[in-house]
Formats: sequence, structure tokens, C-alpha cells
Amino acid sequence: MSTRAWARLDNASNIFLAARSARDPKVFRLGAELDHEVDPALLQRALELTVDRYPLFRAVLRRGLFWYYLQGSDKHPQVVADVLPPCAPLYEPGHPGLLFRVVHHGDRVGLEVFHALVDGTGALWFLGDLLAAYLRLRGEGAGTDAERETGEAIEADASEHRGITGDAFRHHFRRRRIRDRAPDPARFARDAAPAALRSAEELASLVSTGATRRGGRAGRDAGGAGGHHRPRVHRVHGELTPDLRPRTVELSMPADQVLVLSRAAGVSLSSYLTALLLEGVRRSSGGLGAARTLAVSVPVNLRQFFPSRSPRNFFATVRLEHTYAPHEADPEVEVDLDELARSLEEGFRPQVSAEALAARLRRLIGLEQMLGPRLVPRPLKDLLLRVVNARVNRTLTLAVSNLGRVRLPEPAEAHVRRMMFEVSAVRPQFCAISHAGVLTVSFTAPFVRTDHVREVVRLLVARGVEVSVAATRVTEHELAEVGV
Amino acid sequence: MSRCRGCEARVEGSWARCPLCGTELEPLTDGTGPGSPRPSEPFAAVALRYSGRRVLRVLLLVSLGMVIASFALQLLLPHTESGWGWLRASWLGLATTWLLVLIALRERRNLARATAYLVVLVGLVSAYWDYLTGWHAWSLTYTVPIVCGSSIIAVLVLVRVRRMEPGDHVLYAALTIAVGLVPLLFLVLGWVTTPLPSLLCAALALAQITVSRGREVLRELSRRLHL
Repeated sequence: MSTRAWARLDNASNIFLAARSARDPKVFRLGAELDHEVDPALLQRALELTVDRYPLFRAVLRRGLFWYYLQGSDKHPQVVADVLPPCAPLYEPGHPGLLFRVVHHGDRVGLEVFHALVDGTGALWFLGDLLAAYLRLRGEGAGTDAERETGEAIEADASEHRGITGDAFRHHFRRRRIRDRAPDPARFARDAAPAALRSAEELASLVSTGATRRGGRAGRDAGGAGGHHRPRVHRVHGELTPDLRPRTVELSMPADQVLVLSRAAGVSLSSYLTALLLEGVRRSSGGLGAARTLAVSVPVNLRQFFPSRSPRNFFATVRLEHTYAPHEADPEVEVDLDELARSLEEGFRPQVSAEALAARLRRLIGLEQMLGPRLVPRPLKDLLLRVVNARVNRTLTLAVSNLGRVRLPEPAEAHVRRMMFEVSAVRPQFCAISHAGVLTVSFTAPFVRTDHVREVVRLLVARGVEVSVAATRVTEHELAEVGV
Repeated sequence: MSRCRGCEARVEGSWARCPLCGTELEPLTDGTGPGSPRPSEPFAAVALRYSGRRVLRVLLLVSLGMVIASFALQLLLPHTESGWGWLRASWLGLATTWLLVLIALRERRNLARATAYLVVLVGLVSAYWDYLTGWHAWSLTYTVPIVCGSSIIAVLVLVRVRRMEPGDHVLYAALTIAVGLVPLLFLVLGWVTTPLPSLLCAALALAQITVSRGREVLRELSRRLHL
């Protein structure tokens, strides 16, 4: 038997295994809309070429006594028509299969990935290269040979980092840097701590007695929080979709129009969109009652602070909170959106400085290197993480994720009209991505009703943004309309 | 592609009504509206693998039917202590437990209401059970007062622990108090064998009345009964 490359599951990824559920299989989808109907045969060939350059995507997930680990395989990924609901489960314990799938529907290509494999940025690299390979095979961009060669040179250089052994977490945050950084599969990928950094902190307080809970919760309205009382966090409930598939509503709009709004408020696009979602939830809540605090979890791409070319999970989550004033619990009351966005931004900024993130992560890695937690058997770890995750879930209203402005490698850039990004979610969530001047914001939730999205649309339209809505069909009635 | 007048947004795909607000859509004249031969759907329409709602509804109806049948069948069997055996006792016990579980699940979002329902249900079932075993009045003497008394305490604890809003619980708190006074009626009518449980329960209910906020109850009642 050949010795296959393997690696313990990296730092951020274990939480995705523990937190997996029927409602939220921890799968995300990146999509691209091309300027023509997709040719599945060509896409298949492009996929084979691309996977050769990203050995990590050949990995299957296996269970060890103490950890999950990724192992290389000879499996051949197949391009399939879009016959499953978006973000359908990819990992089934005991049936190791590939952790991603490539689907096509009309002029759309979709890449769905189990989040334990890579994060959004990593998947975006893969999709970009896949689309570029597909379009080259189609004869696009063949004229610019020089461009293609440089592109391939970059890819060849990067491919060594995109193998199975690229753990950016460990590279940056080991207490003592190892001098020679030769890939060493056996010592690779330190302990799994939840990707959601907050979860990891919770775990730390569970494992090591006497560890005090850290404060540092931002965006809290000091007046509304009231003494030492933990504010009551509003949670969105609703009728679940019949087979627990996510309800996706995709809003496309000109990026400029929203940027103008966010600049006028003096905040980033992410903060502005988050404020919109908060307002959407409040206005569709039918009254917040006593639970006037809305808490949002936001992943931060760590590559922007600590350069890494590994596609593996490399992000931290920060938490934002906003407590509405008592009179604002009434959905009819108007709230200043710009003010709200600014307060979110103020809470966000201090949490995402390089120093703040590095300090948090070093502490985490230190915990992971302790022998005690590492000796806990995997099923017990799963259970602990699940408990921690459930506790964290109870304190969150929403989640948001913004991949930002994307530039694809040529010739893909010229032939992609817009890009899409969505995540399976237990709570209402939006994922934003912008490409070629089109901002796409996908709202997902396991609920049938989409009142909060309607409110977001109306808020946007009232500010002069041209919005285009695309939604998945989830109920029997809606599917019957198109004869399914 | 069509347009929703309610949301003032374009809607992609062949929706007849806006997926967000339900308003009927008006077609846009770019050749891909609902009237065109092959509308472009942004998402594949994927058939349901199952319908959780349907499964639950069927399971609920089947189990309710079985519970009702279980209670009804008992009527056909002898109503004496000698005709009662462990088999019948566990049968009825299972049916009752299942009924309680269903109510607890259904009303899990409003525990005060669930408590009120449970009191009524347990009272009725135990009286029926007492009747089936040859009426020794143990249900009215012990079970009903104890359950009513406990429910008054339970609602008090719930309201504290869950920090419930007055609108969510005052009526149910009032209801448990009212039910708490019912054993007094049994006592007056001489339907009980030992007066102590009924007296304790009534005392608890009266004590609760003195500390409860009657005005809030009235306000909530006027809101709910508003014509």
C-alpha cells in the first residue's frame, strides 16, 4: 500500500464537524454566473486539471481515536447537474467521500465545499482557477500567451502551499517557531480548536478551571445593557423548511450604489450591510420585547494580517452586539441606520487589529499544545464542542460574512457576470461578494419565511438602490408552480 | 424576470408572486418573464426529499387516534378494582404519558400555557382513571389538589426563571389560581375523603391572589377579549 499524505484536521476546522446538523451541514457554496450556458464536459476536464494542482481537494476525512484527519485519495471529482438543494451535506461519517462538489445549472457554476476542508478564501482560489481553466479549454484568452504563462507560473509556485500540509495557523502562531519549516506530516496541524474563536474561548474556560471569562464584547449600548445583567439576545424563530434545506434569497445590486451609502455613513460596506440586516430583523420581528440585544458573528479572514497561501481554514470570528433602546423594540419606530452602522463599526474595529487577533490566537494555540486536552478521545471532544457550540448559538442572533471584492484570474474575469456566495446556516445569515461592479448578498436561513429579507430590500430600495431578487423554492406549493 | 410592486425590486425566475412579500408580480418586457416559453431560473428547482411537516402531522394524528382509542376501549372493560390489572394500568399510563409529551412539545414555546394545559389534562385523566377503578375519590382528594397546587408554584418559578413578559403569563397564572380554587368546591360538595390537600391547595391559591397583580390581569383580559 502506498503511503498517503495525511494531516490532522487544522485548527479552525473541528468545530464544523461537531456543529454539523441536518439543518446546517456546514457547507458553503460559491457560484459564478457566466456569459454562456455551461458546457459540462469541458467543465469536467477543467476540474480534473484544477484538482491536480490542489491536492488538498482530493482529501477525504477520516476519524482517528483523538482527532479527525485529512487523507489524500485517488478519487475523481465529477461535475454534476444541480440536483440537490444548495449546500446539501457533503460529509457522512463512515463514508469517506470528497469534501466538495462542482455543480452546473444553466449559465451558473457552483462550488460547494464542506467547511472543514477550506474557508471561503481558499474555495475562491480554487473556483477562480477552475473557471480560468474551463474558459481556456473553451478557447478564451488563448491569444494572450504571456499572460497565461505568468498565471501558470504563479499557480505552480503556489501549489506547494496548497497541498495537504499547509497549516497557516500553526505557521504563524506556534509559541516557539520551528526553524526548519519542512513539511512534517506527523507533527502537522496542532490541536483542533473551534474555528469560531469565541467557541474556543468557551472551551478554554471549560477545560482549565479558574479561567475567567473574558469581556471584550463590543458594540454594547452601555445604557441599555443595565449593570451586570447579561443582555437578553433576540433569536429568530420560524417554521422550518419541509426538508430542512436552506431558503436562499439572493439580492444583486450595483456595488457603487451601496458603496455611496456606506461612505456617506462613514463605515465599511460590511458594517453597513450588517446594520441593514439588524434593522431587517428588528422590523420583521413583530416587537423585540425584552430581548433587545441583537448579536452577530463575523468571520475575519486572517490572511490580510498574517499572509498565508494555504487554502485551509484561516479565520477568526468576532462578535458584534447592538442593544436597541427600549422604545426601539417596537418595529414601527424608525432607527437611524447610519448611526447603527457606525456603532457596529466602532465595536468591530478594535477586535480586528493585528495585535488583538494575534494575542487571542496565540493563547489558543498555547491551549491546544497542552497535553491534557489532546488526550481527550475524539467522540468526547465532539461532544464537548457540540455543547460549547450550542451555548454560543444561544447567544447569537445572526451571522454575516463578506468575501469582499473579487478579481478572478483571466480569462475568467472577463466572462463572469456576477458571483454568488451562500452558507448553510442555523440562524439568519447573509454572505456578500462583489465582482465586476455587482454586489451579491445571499441571505440564508432554515426558515420558510423571509420577512427580514423583505425589510432589507425595502430599506435598500428606499435609498435608491436597484435590487434584483432571486430565491430558491422550498415549499411544496412553490415547487408545484414549476411542476416539481 | 418580473417586477414586484410591493418591494419595488426585480424578481428573477418564473415566480408568479413575489417570494418575499407575496404580491402578484408584473412581467418585465425582456423576454424572460412568466409568459415567455422558457424562463431562466437562477436556481434549480429541486424536489423535496421529504416533508417534515407532513411526517409530523401524520405521526401526531396516528398517535392521537391511538390515545383516544385506548381511553375509549377502557370503558368496555369492567370498571371494578378486581377487573383492573397491571396490563391495563401500564396501557393507560403509556397513553397518558404520550399525551403529556405531545402537549409539552406543542407548547414548548409558552411554558405557562403548557402548565395550564397539563393541569387540566392530568385532572381529567385521573378522574377518569378513578372512575375506571371503581371510584374511591382519590383523584379529587389527592391528585387534583396536589397538581393544582404544584402548578401555581410552577408558574411562579417559570416566570422568574425565564423572565417572562407579563402578557405571556398573567392569564395562565390567573387560570392556575382559578383552577386552584376548584378543590374547595369538591370539599364543599363533600366529594373528598380527606380535606387537608384541598384546603392546602385553596390556601395557596388565595395567597397567590393577594400577591398577584390583578390590574395587569384585567388589562390583559380586556386586550384579549376586545371585540
